[in-house]
Amino acid sequence: MNNVLAIAHKEIKAYFASPIAYIVVGFSAILFGWFFVNLLLYFDRMALQAAAGGPDTLNVNEMLIGPLLQNVAVVLLFTLPLVTMRTYSEEKRAGTIELLLTSPLTDVDIVLGKFLGAFVLYAAMLAVTAVHVGLLFLFGQPEWRPILTGYLGVLLMGSCFLSLGLFISSLTKNQIVAGMITFAVFLMFWVINWIASFAGPTMQVVLNYLSITEHLNDFTRGVIDTKHVVYYLSFIGFSLYLTVRSVDTERWRG
Amino acid sequence: MIEVQHLTKRYGPFTAVNDVSFRVERGEILGFLGPNGAGKTTTMRVLTGYMPPTEGKAVVAGYDVLEQPLEAKRRTGYLPETPPLYPDMTVRDYLLFVARIKGVPGKERRARVDQAMQRTWVADMANRHCGKLSKGYKQRVGLAQAILHNPEVLILDEPTAGLDPRQVRETRALIKELAGDHTIILSTHILPEVSQTCQRVVIINRGQVVAVDTPENLTSRVHGSATMYLQVDAPGADAAASAAAALSGVPGVTQVGVSDTQGSVTGFEIQSEQGRDVRRELAAAVVAHGWGLLELRPLRMSLEDVFVQLTTQEVQPATTEVAHE
Repeated sequence: MNNVLAIAHKEIKAYFASPIAYIVVGFSAILFGWFFVNLLLYFDRMALQAAAGGPDTLNVNEMLIGPLLQNVAVVLLFTLPLVTMRTYSEEKRAGTIELLLTSPLTDVDIVLGKFLGAFVLYAAMLAVTAVHVGLLFLFGQPEWRPILTGYLGVLLMGSCFLSLGLFISSLTKNQIVAGMITFAVFLMFWVINWIASFAGPTMQVVLNYLSITEHLNDFTRGVIDTKHVVYYLSFIGFSLYLTVRSVDTERWRG
Repeated sequence: MIEVQHLTKRYGPFTAVNDVSFRVERGEILGFLGPNGAGKTTTMRVLTGYMPPTEGKAVVAGYDVLEQPLEAKRRTGYLPETPPLYPDMTVRDYLLFVARIKGVPGKERRARVDQAMQRTWVADMANRHCGKLSKGYKQRVGLAQAILHNPEVLILDEPTAGLDPRQVRETRALIKELAGDHTIILSTHILPEVSQTCQRVVIINRGQVVAVDTPENLTSRVHGSATMYLQVDAPGADAAASAAAALSGVPGVTQVGVSDTQGSVTGFEIQSEQGRDVRRELAAAVVAHGWGLLELRPLRMSLEDVFVQLTTQEVQPATTEVAHE
């Protein structure tokens, strides 16, 4: 465990010693802010219409916080490849992988450490959005439970992206290659169910199940369904397992 | 301390290391010598547990690198060909990180790091980012990283590459000093380094060990027959040829070769029977013909010649490129 923390600590330091952390957190904050303002204005207009006899149920959780978290997913699609693309590629290029692999660490220590480091940066990025949600508590009474489950969902979904990105980074020395492939694969997992409505009944279920965003919806509604938790956790577990195998294979190939 | 048995490493169809075996005793410095691509780095990478061997086994500090890699790695310090530094970390932070992953207890880390920095003369750069260091400093931080956890075995891949002459001397002195309580393997293609620092040499070529011995034994072993260099001033047409013929007639001489000619001055390389000193006879023969004797000295084969001879595919007799310093 100490080894995992040592690697994680080093990773976090590396993120914050380079501009990566500041750019990822900073620009994500700008985008979140923009989504938030947009959704808030929309909600405001709806509230005015409701006062003038529009729809009679207005729920800040459903109309503002839920969609906001959905939008966060869009930002993740673009930013998380930037976080993970360097994790292994950079070590391979600089030769520091040789230090890690000849130190008394297991491959699992290294992979988990790197995952944890990326996760902390990602959590920092999400923490910024909490400021916006916090503002809502000053002026209204949103329900806090769906917010919590929503964040849990987003954390799990982002972790899937991180673990997959880690795996892709372990395959190449080239950061740009790692980044681009990661982005393409993330996007694929996102849009995979777009053709679901044209597919046969079985295929439809399969495609919908594979879609990484499909599983987020229940979380933002305040529902923790084990089906979704299992999907995310197995996704993360499998990607990390692949990463460990990939690092090990690299050793044998030399 | 280190035992390598029938080690083979293949990358696909390419065999980088082929059935290499050698031993290193505790406290010894072993020089690993070979041309580029001979398999030095691959062997070292197997010993450090960076990659597994295709066949054979390697035991470091009593632990098989394949069976008990963590135990073996805990006892090994490794300086790879390119020092494995994180450019965005300061030297001190970097060394603290390495100390942590090498398993140095938290309380001792600072003291160990300070000690290692002092031994490798990088203390003045402690707060500088690794990426901003000069090549020599990088190399020495790499060395600091290797000795940090006081390992029983040190494996150094070209430790003096990129250093200036003074640093090279200091580093060699440091390596010698470390040899007492550490067992060291160092690879190099700088030959004087081997004769100066190492007690034993493994010469490796095309993945195979071609010689294992002390530097002194190697030079005398390959030496074989004694070789003299003789320079005479023999004026007149065809003097060189007639001189060669005359010298071949001297008793004890087995072979005469012309190594250089400048006007009437000709240099010969003369081989004689083992253990027989033919200098007097040679001198007498030259004088008897009325030529001028300009130079007569024994040619000692340097380690460099041994190396060239052992690693050149078709081994030729010593008449080829013998150094004349």
